Amino acid sequence: MNPRRATRAGWNTVAVVLFVLMVFPVFWMISTAFKPDDQIVSADPSWFSLHPTIAHFRAAIDTPFFWTDVKNSLIIVCTTVVISIGLAFLAAIALAKYRFSGRKLFIVLMIGIQMLPQAGLIIPLYVVLARYHQVNALTGVILTYMTFALPFSVWTLRGFIINIPRELEEAAMVDGSTRLGAFVKILLPLAAPGLVATSVFAFITSWNEYIFARVLLNDQGKQTLTVWLSYFLGSSRHTDWGALMAGSTLTAIPVLVFFLLVQRKIAFGLTAGAVKA
Amino acid sequence: MSQAEGTAVAAGAPGLRRRRFSRGRFLRGSVPYGLIVPVAAAIGAILGYPLYSLVRLSLQHYGLFELISHRGQWVGLDNFRSVLGDAVFWHTLLRTVVFTAVNVSATIVLGTLVALLLVRVSAWARLLLTGGLVLVWATPVVVAVQIWYWMTNFQNGVVNYVLTKLRVGDFFQHDWYATTFSQLGLVTTLVVWGALPFVAISVYASLAQVPRELVEAAEIDGARPWRVFLDVIFPILRPILLILTSLSIIWDFGVFTQPFLLIGQSHIHPGNYLMGVYLFEEGYVKTDFGRGAAISLLMLLMVSAMSVVYVRKMVRMGDVE
Amino acid sequence: MRSRVFVAAIAAVALGVVAATASAGEQRAQANKLTVWLQIDAQSGWPDLVASVNQQFQKDHPGWTVDVQYQNWTDHLQKFDATLAGSNTPDVIEMGNTEMTKYMAAGAFQQLDKSTFDNSANWLKGLAASASFGGKTYGVPYYAGSRLATYRTDLFKKAGIKKLPTSLAELTADGQKLMKGAKKGFSPIYIAGEDWYVAMAFVYDYGGSIARTHAGKWIGNLDSAASIKGLTAFKNLFLTTSRASKTTDETHPNPYDVYAQGNAGVIIGPSWFTCCTGAKYKADTAQFVLPSHTKGQPLPGFLGGSDLAVPVTGNKLGADWIKDFTSTSSEKTLQAKGNIPNATNLLGTSINERAAARSWFVPTAKHWVDVENGNILRNMLSQILTGKLSVKQAAASASDNITSVLNGA
Repeated sequence: MNPRRATRAGWNTVAVVLFVLMVFPVFWMISTAFKPDDQIVSADPSWFSLHPTIAHFRAAIDTPFFWTDVKNSLIIVCTTVVISIGLAFLAAIALAKYRFSGRKLFIVLMIGIQMLPQAGLIIPLYVVLARYHQVNALTGVILTYMTFALPFSVWTLRGFIINIPRELEEAAMVDGSTRLGAFVKILLPLAAPGLVATSVFAFITSWNEYIFARVLLNDQGKQTLTVWLSYFLGSSRHTDWGALMAGSTLTAIPVLVFFLLVQRKIAFGLTAGAVKA
Repeated sequence: MSQAEGTAVAAGAPGLRRRRFSRGRFLRGSVPYGLIVPVAAAIGAILGYPLYSLVRLSLQHYGLFELISHRGQWVGLDNFRSVLGDAVFWHTLLRTVVFTAVNVSATIVLGTLVALLLVRVSAWARLLLTGGLVLVWATPVVVAVQIWYWMTNFQNGVVNYVLTKLRVGDFFQHDWYATTFSQLGLVTTLVVWGALPFVAISVYASLAQVPRELVEAAEIDGARPWRVFLDVIFPILRPILLILTSLSIIWDFGVFTQPFLLIGQSHIHPGNYLMGVYLFEEGYVKTDFGRGAAISLLMLLMVSAMSVVYVRKMVRMGDVE
Repeated sequence: MRSRVFVAAIAAVALGVVAATASAGEQRAQANKLTVWLQIDAQSGWPDLVASVNQQFQKDHPGWTVDVQYQNWTDHLQKFDATLAGSNTPDVIEMGNTEMTKYMAAGAFQQLDKSTFDNSANWLKGLAASASFGGKTYGVPYYAGSRLATYRTDLFKKAGIKKLPTSLAELTADGQKLMKGAKKGFSPIYIAGEDWYVAMAFVYDYGGSIARTHAGKWIGNLDSAASIKGLTAFKNLFLTTSRASKTTDETHPNPYDVYAQGNAGVIIGPSWFTCCTGAKYKADTAQFVLPSHTKGQPLPGFLGGSDLAVPVTGNKLGADWIKDFTSTSSEKTLQAKGNIPNATNLLGTSINERAAARSWFVPTAKHWVDVENGNILRNMLSQILTGKLSVKQAAASASDNITSVLNGA
């Protein structure tokens, strides 16, 4: 018991050190957001301010359209993630568990599409969306994000599903459910960790996506938070670093919240991963 | 499935027997297609024209003037010839291949180590570390670049300050952006730092699927941790590691934002181009869209060549029946 | 439990789609809408002017509304390219004066009648050059900014500098005085090694130039005797008075940050640098016009500025909006905000405008942006300052480069 606890304490220490190293830049961002302006540019870096200020956060929140842009980002990203993960999960089941002609081609397409440099697609995509009046519209951005989230999600979810042993599906099918029903009933909880990881990735990628949102959305009332953030950097004059860091901290919060909500599901599999012969 | 269906059919009325059987078979056969059609339709509707347009553009001379008049000049394979004949292209390609190899190895190895660590720690440490990883993951790239620049800047960067204080050497006003090696080294740390969370969390999620009994059985048998990893854990991690490797190759090969913003527009030159930057500079800054399309397609070719081994394994894996 | 999650997800998606499509619908309703792209400098600097111009336009054109959409300098051209491809450009666009030539040459803008705009006969030379191509006018100068010196009055006093320098020689001497007893890393005159805006000012001061035309072709001119004199003067000033990195540009770090840290006695840049010199030195900050090597003359300042143009697929009423936005009264408002107005007859005596009495501008060549993006001038400067090449060698190589790039190689 004791040596076990000692090794565990040892690993815990390693984890804390790693945490400090990884998070340092983020810590720097957050601490800068609370520093008064003169401390931000001072020659001797200070770890954190002894006179923290929330002026930058207030300045960031008071910028016009902040809350509107929060709403837009949430609508776009949540819709994208839910639809993409849902459709991708079904497609992944098909690719992992069924045999049909064209299967290999479809799998290769899923990875092939991701190999295209996105920079090359911006203008043609804009032209297509313009034709269908999807420019300057949230739906246009949702459709765009979905086309990038889907191949990745299908490709990754297939990998998680492949791992799940066939015996479990066959056990469910004896119950009389349809093949698809068995898959969904059995695979959903077992693939939960994979679904979580994939949906967090889809969430973050869509949340932080910039160039397509910038090009497609014109009205400030329709833009996303990443575009809102870019206004802090785009002027030819002085950049308000404090407000930029405060704004960045604010944009990171929903992601953290989303993750905290779903992170328990990752560990779920640890106790449920038993294969009963 | 067939068993259950068969009994149902046998129990059914004689008149309905044949009809229900054939309808069932049709429905059964069409299930996988039904599952992939929504995905195919969504992607096809949006990316269909852009993909066709990309190929068409690569065969045209299409600059700003042509963009405005909506008409390009057909030049056949001239764009490809010009790119393949450009020494800068080949140097950049080599540099990018090396860069990708270094980044992908570092990301996958470190990510797996972090995932293995996550399994071994107490619940509070796990939450702390995964929370930290997600914070890193959630930081917008543009902001991460700014922070990186600050930490390493010439005037008052924290890295110079700490290294000098720790007596590693005199780093007072050391310019980390003076040499190409140093510049790309910084870009590597930034990219790996940003990519680590996804790999660590995905591998950890996959580890969650490792049956605890098998691990414990192997450990009771007295197997060393290294052997336990290779024989029990690694086979289960294989699919996810293949996925992550193939994705990492694709992303690191085409990476653009980090090198472009960190090295800065004023220090980007052919000597430190990476493929993503090369595409942007040659195609879009010079508004030569035909050439940009040609470079995009060549990049597609290169990246598929680099990842073909992993993709092949991934496609073959889980070959059912 | 699972079905509840499922239902919640469906509801969320449905709500999302409804919300998203609701906002898509409205855009089709407004037919008479003028779309204007201005940079965010206007949003933070003079929003009232924008609002009053919009009101004026709407009064003169009943039934029309004006939608001003603010852009970033970093990606507004990419957006513009996309709208050009999709044929739904804005009706008015603000372009940087160094960005204009390339787009004019490609036919991106409608031709304008110069005489309909206020003070057009007196437009500042540097700005007017960027707004015309092939003898036709495609843009209207909007405003400009020059460069001058921001300095620490307390340090000058401490070093015994009684009056401001009126020649380059005096400036150098003042720099040397400031260097006495200064701490490690302090720059009496902070100039980034690759700050070509400052370096080229010296070139033009001695009568040189970056490039000239001859028989319809561009020829790089940095290797001429006058240009080399200018580059040498710059090199000498830098080595004597600047401790900045020889390989860094003028935004990494920002000079005003160096100043705020107490590491600079003088910084060179636009007049708005005083915004960001830090609370510590705010009371001890003032500005002066940089002197030429000829006593009593100012050093030519780079005239950075913006033009307004009407894209080729935009509504021609955009020209009317531009007329209102660059009218004499509008320009006076911009002037009051610290900018340089677009015409010589409007120039006042603010320090910003005095600095613009002598100005220089980049060659108005279609491929000029390729020279900038290729960092030809920056590389030349770092080669000169690090001593890798002599001034003559670096200038000759850069000149050849510029010749081939400007002629479209």
